Amino acid sequence: MTTHIRNFCIIAHIDHGKSTLADRLLQLTGTISDREMKEQVLDSMDLEREKGVTIKASAVRMVYTAKDGNEYHLNLIDTPGHVDFSYEVSRALAACEGALLIVDASQGIEAQTLANLYLALEADLTIIPVINKIDLISARPDEVAEEISNLLGCDPDTVLRISAKEGLHVDQVLEAIVTQVPPPHGRQDEPLKALVFDSHYDSYKGTVAYVRVVEGQLNAQDTLLAMSTNIVIRPVEIGYFSPVMKPTDLLDNAEVGYIATGLKSVSECRVGDTITSVKNPAAEKLPGYQQAKPMVYAGIYPVEGEDYLDLKDALGKLQMNDASLVYEPETSQALNFGFRCGFLGLFHMEIIQERIEREYDLDIVITAPSVEYEVVLRTGETILVDSPADLPEEGDIVEIREPWMRLQIFTPTDFYGTVMELATKRRGIFVEQEYPAPNRVQLVYEIPLSELIVDFFDDLKTRTRGYASMDYSFGEYRPGDLVKLEILVGGDPVDALATIVHREDAYHRGQALVSKLKELIPRQLFDVAIQAYSTGRVISRANVKALRKDVLAKCYGGDITRKKKLLEKQKKGKKRMKMVGNVEIPQEAFMAVLKLEDK
Amino acid sequence: MEHSHDSVLAGSIHAYSIYLHTPFCQQRCTYCDFNTVAGRSSLIPRYVHALCTEIVTTTANLHQPLPVHTVYFGGGTPSLLQPEQVQDILGTISHVFNLLPGVEITMEANPGTLELDRLAGYHAAGINRISLGMQTSNAEELRMLGRIHTNAGTIEAVDLARRAGFTNISLDLIYSLPCQNLASWKATVQDAVELQPQHLSLYALKLEDGTPLALRVASGDLPEPDPDLAADMYEAAAGMLLQNGYAQYEISNWALDAPGQRFQSRHNRQYWENRPYFGFGAGAHALLAEQRLVNLPGLTAYIKACETTQPAEFPRGPATTQATPRTPQEAIDDHMILGLRLTEEGVNLADVTIRYGIDPLECFGSQIALLTKQGLLEFTNNHLAIRLTPRGRLLGNQVFYHFLRD
Repeated sequence: MTTHIRNFCIIAHIDHGKSTLADRLLQLTGTISDREMKEQVLDSMDLEREKGVTIKASAVRMVYTAKDGNEYHLNLIDTPGHVDFSYEVSRALAACEGALLIVDASQGIEAQTLANLYLALEADLTIIPVINKIDLISARPDEVAEEISNLLGCDPDTVLRISAKEGLHVDQVLEAIVTQVPPPHGRQDEPLKALVFDSHYDSYKGTVAYVRVVEGQLNAQDTLLAMSTNIVIRPVEIGYFSPVMKPTDLLDNAEVGYIATGLKSVSECRVGDTITSVKNPAAEKLPGYQQAKPMVYAGIYPVEGEDYLDLKDALGKLQMNDASLVYEPETSQALNFGFRCGFLGLFHMEIIQERIEREYDLDIVITAPSVEYEVVLRTGETILVDSPADLPEEGDIVEIREPWMRLQIFTPTDFYGTVMELATKRRGIFVEQEYPAPNRVQLVYEIPLSELIVDFFDDLKTRTRGYASMDYSFGEYRPGDLVKLEILVGGDPVDALATIVHREDAYHRGQALVSKLKELIPRQLFDVAIQAYSTGRVISRANVKALRKDVLAKCYGGDITRKKKLLEKQKKGKKRMKMVGNVEIPQEAFMAVLKLEDK
Repeated sequence: MEHSHDSVLAGSIHAYSIYLHTPFCQQRCTYCDFNTVAGRSSLIPRYVHALCTEIVTTTANLHQPLPVHTVYFGGGTPSLLQPEQVQDILGTISHVFNLLPGVEITMEANPGTLELDRLAGYHAAGINRISLGMQTSNAEELRMLGRIHTNAGTIEAVDLARRAGFTNISLDLIYSLPCQNLASWKATVQDAVELQPQHLSLYALKLEDGTPLALRVASGDLPEPDPDLAADMYEAAAGMLLQNGYAQYEISNWALDAPGQRFQSRHNRQYWENRPYFGFGAGAHALLAEQRLVNLPGLTAYIKACETTQPAEFPRGPATTQATPRTPQEAIDDHMILGLRLTEEGVNLADVTIRYGIDPLECFGSQIALLTKQGLLEFTNNHLAIRLTPRGRLLGNQVFYHFLRD
């Protein structure tokens, strides 16, 4: 029964042409007509298109008549293309038997190619390597085929060489999927087990869970159960994507499709969960389910206090679609009312920030990101701290532990030295290196996450002129010699500017922050002292001198309107400032810690 | 009378003012972003004719001539007008307005455009106050500003003006220039004082976007003026002027101390007292019947409009392009912002209550309390008025924006 089904995904580094290839496959199989074709159908959000990455996975059924004369269901499962979403990637891979590994003919293998490839191999998928963009002048397909051969042990001559953009040899990809990806083997007569590998929120149908039927069959009439969250689902409808939602009565064994659950939040039907039927439940769930765990935390505050409720509403709506976003109300003495938000990583944070600003049209201040620390107190208790301002007094603390990551950096060997320097400067511990391709090295480090979230990726890109790529995954919590670095403005500590840093870095970070703030805080009616304070002493100070002259001299020909416009602007600017004691602090200052230049 | 104007009914002390714009210049100064044109002086005769037409057309629907106590020829360079042309304009004005006895008629003049005959002609035409754009006495600074005159030219112009009969002369100075230091500024002030003008205006340079001077600063060709040095210059000049018998009455203005505020600019006081004024000429602004009016700024568009447009309902004129009613709240805000520029008398609180029917302590109580606490405002005249403190004079914007309500 399942011999005509092929479930596969595409893994690729950002910009290696995953979406373009997906488009061509949809066109070639007639799933979508040329006329309907808009660029990159699978990436439906603007933001994704702009960033060139896929945030939300999709799952499209294509019907393909192969050269052997048989008709096949090819289910393409799209995977998110960024390091922050590796759990989601792993679940999407678990729904497949095969993976197309796309490598750019001029760029060659990159860190994410490797990271996702290893995930795919762990998931026991059949890998079909494909070299894309062979039409580019800079293409070097032979070398790249050699790289791939070294990596996979395959014959370099068998590696497919295509140009998805030009539609060149894409038909060979379809044939390879049919002949090389093994058909799924599930048991149709077992109780239902369907793996949720993605979801989105639909305002009419509620949470739409993307599923792969692993065991049994999924019937539209069945009452279902999400096994991890223990939530009963009475499906609004079931169906498959073609690529729009097509309702159906039955999702057969091994098929890929969706369940419109009617649930009002994606968190009730999480990625990795197993769906079974209430009538004839499975004995145990599918392996691999994990609760989404935020790694990076930051405060999000409305610029205008009156936008607080709108911000709350926006976060609620975003969370409906994104189970890995967590938030709770937070109060800052400097920024008033806002939310402490948890993200999977920095990239995830950036996406949320942009969506709040763009889709909900809200002006927000986002504070410097922090990781979650484990703090062991003298009382013997261990607490979790994700906001530096909440760190207890030094005297009460026995030990602070911070998350360490396993970091892989993939770079041309030319940049070996500068990458080493960067990682070492950020407290990275060298683990190993590999040369998976000629002139390419993969460096593996253990590194505190707190070092990665402050400008690390930008710095890496700058140092390697954009050639290096990186991937990271959580390792473990380790004790560190960490201290709180506080900033006092006009004598008052500013909670939103506090950070937790390594003791050795406190001095130069404090200095850098103070001089940055001196630039950012405008002159006021009185002198403003800015101080960095750590472990009981002031480690750096600067003074913003009082403003002496700010007056418009001339009011020409009685034209007061122009002058009033300037005053209006000034007044508006003042309103956007945050008051700390008597001192007005501009929004940018709260992000200053992110943009410190190293000396 | 069809239109009720409180200021008219209140008698001659609340008479109107008239601003007349002459956009022509021989050459644009490097810092200027006013509505001016260089090299179009062949259009002057037509422009003067248009101006006279505008004056007549604008007032055509008024049933009786409005009283006027100041007339001001501003620019541009009004001293590019021939005395006969000035005479025509003033003749037109006296025809349709009621010029009050002792009317102040000022002309801005560029020291590089003046000869004795011309000055005598202006004086004969009725001009009784002359405001000379001295700017600085430093030759390099004059060059940098693109001025067409030298300091010797300024000295000569003052002398000629006196010989032509002018007894009320004002000098404009400009400070906080790129490369200007405290010593060169003090020298300029000293040179100005030695010319014994009746009035002095001191303006800090504001680098306006797109002007040649701003571009030179932006490109790094010239250093950006230091605002703290500008504050030092202001304070130094204030001290020197005080010693020489000049009394400050506005943020940027000083007059020889004389009974009855004799040498203060009555025309500019009209603006600061938030009272009505006509504005004639291309791009001119007016405040009439609680409306802010703006004329077409383009020279030819303005001339054409004046030549072809029929009288409209007062206060609109033939070249009006914008007429924005002012709300009572805006009127009060304007009154505070403008009135606080008067450094000596400040804003008389009772006057505000009488004029607008609202006690400023009621609508601005918290702002005034904050600003006095900050040391920028003070009560004066037996608690009847508020005014800027000496420190507040340099920080006016920090005070004014508090009086702008949403």
